[in-house]
Amino acid sequence: MSKRQPSKELRDRMERWRSDAAGLNYEEAMQALDLLLAELQNDSVPLAELQQQVLHGEVYLSRCQSLLDNVEQSIVELDPTTLEPTNNA
Amino acid sequence: MSVDRLPTYSVAELNTAIGSLLERGFAPRFLLEATVSRPQLKKGHLWLTLTDGAASISGVVWASKLAQLSYKPEDGDGVTVVGKLNFWAARASLTVQALDIRPSLSTVLRDFERVRQLLEEQGVIDPSRQRRLPSQPSTIAVLTSVPSSALADMLRTAAERWPLTQLIVVPIPVQGAVASKILSTLKGLAERSVDLGIQALVLARGGGSREDLAVFDDEALCRVLARYPVPVVTGLGHEDDLTVADLVADHRAATPTAAIVALLPDRDAARQGLVQRQSRLRDALLGRILRERQRLQDRAFVLQQQSPLERIRRHRQELAQKQLLLQALSPERWLKRGLALVSNASGDAIPDLQSVKIGDQLSIRMSDGTLDARVDQIQRSSPKTTS
Repeated sequence: MSKRQPSKELRDRMERWRSDAAGLNYEEAMQALDLLLAELQNDSVPLAELQQQVLHGEVYLSRCQSLLDNVEQSIVELDPTTLEPTNNA
Repeated sequence: MSVDRLPTYSVAELNTAIGSLLERGFAPRFLLEATVSRPQLKKGHLWLTLTDGAASISGVVWASKLAQLSYKPEDGDGVTVVGKLNFWAARASLTVQALDIRPSLSTVLRDFERVRQLLEEQGVIDPSRQRRLPSQPSTIAVLTSVPSSALADMLRTAAERWPLTQLIVVPIPVQGAVASKILSTLKGLAERSVDLGIQALVLARGGGSREDLAVFDDEALCRVLARYPVPVVTGLGHEDDLTVADLVADHRAATPTAAIVALLPDRDAARQGLVQRQSRLRDALLGRILRERQRLQDRAFVLQQQSPLERIRRHRQELAQKQLLLQALSPERWLKRGLALVSNASGDAIPDLQSVKIGDQLSIRMSDGTLDARVDQIQRSSPKTTS
């Protein structure tokens, strides 16, 4: 059985979700994912939107995974007197 | 030994020769463990007597050096002096010039106890004031010496554990004249903590002697830490070292690395959490479909119960049950067991002899027919006696 391709409308929507999620930090993306999971699990999502909600959740999940795997630590060194960044960092 | 072979000096020459001997023959730097006696400031220089009870020698800390010392010795303090000998030829006087003075362990512990007791009495040290550490801080400040192995360890641990947190490293001197500098840096950082987004502070220093940690027993410094705007985690010295700063902190970690572990979440555990959420997301879809299917089946059943055919079937079933009940209660069952039904000429049932007279026509119904009879004689049963 061949897998159905998502419609163009859905593809556009997913692109928008990804772009929105890219602006979230880890905690925000995790919070959005947990909220969505809670809605899914108490059956408050209309059936017609179920598949989309799951896809939306996967976008948040993927954002969290990407942050965990690819982020490099940001280290800033401050001058102890002026508390302005030094060039050592 | 002949007298003319003995060296002959003027006083100045003798003193110069002694000075020269000392210069060549004595260690240029040495450590001296002593107790301070009668310290006195004269023209900015600190003069004192260094003694061990049995012997004593005078000592001096020049004003230029004195300004750099974080610790000012007081009468009776046990100290370790990094010194060199000063010999003044004019008076042949010998003095230990102190390049650095550190309190001895006993002095450090005495100060620790004093400050601890004071801050406990004033409620500054109070475990109930300890705040919870943020679970996933976006930014933390790390105050430690730079560069240092402690910092390298902390950076490595932070990178392994939770690279999402921004680290603001603020170098602090951990030896020499430090208390006032640390205090000033801490205050400045506290004022800017909101701007910088700092959610917690790590105060760390790698291993060393307990005496090296004396600065973290400083009363003013500990008061600032106790009311710091963000939670404070200390990672000072070795596991066994306890300073007053540890007691006022919101969390005391045994080492600098342990401070980072206490503050930053574990990336592996977070990955596990994501895997669980992924499976919950997939199960949510499947689970919902199963639940909806069950709901549909329940409704189909209810609907089926309301169909006309089903209602007729139920009525028939009820009728059949009632028929069985009627049959069970019918007198036919008694007739088949040999009993008979007696009725008079009008067809009324005769349950006893009260309404029967001699000559009455009676009808006796049995299981397979009816007998017509006439009453010839009536014999009443004698009433039962109760004993």
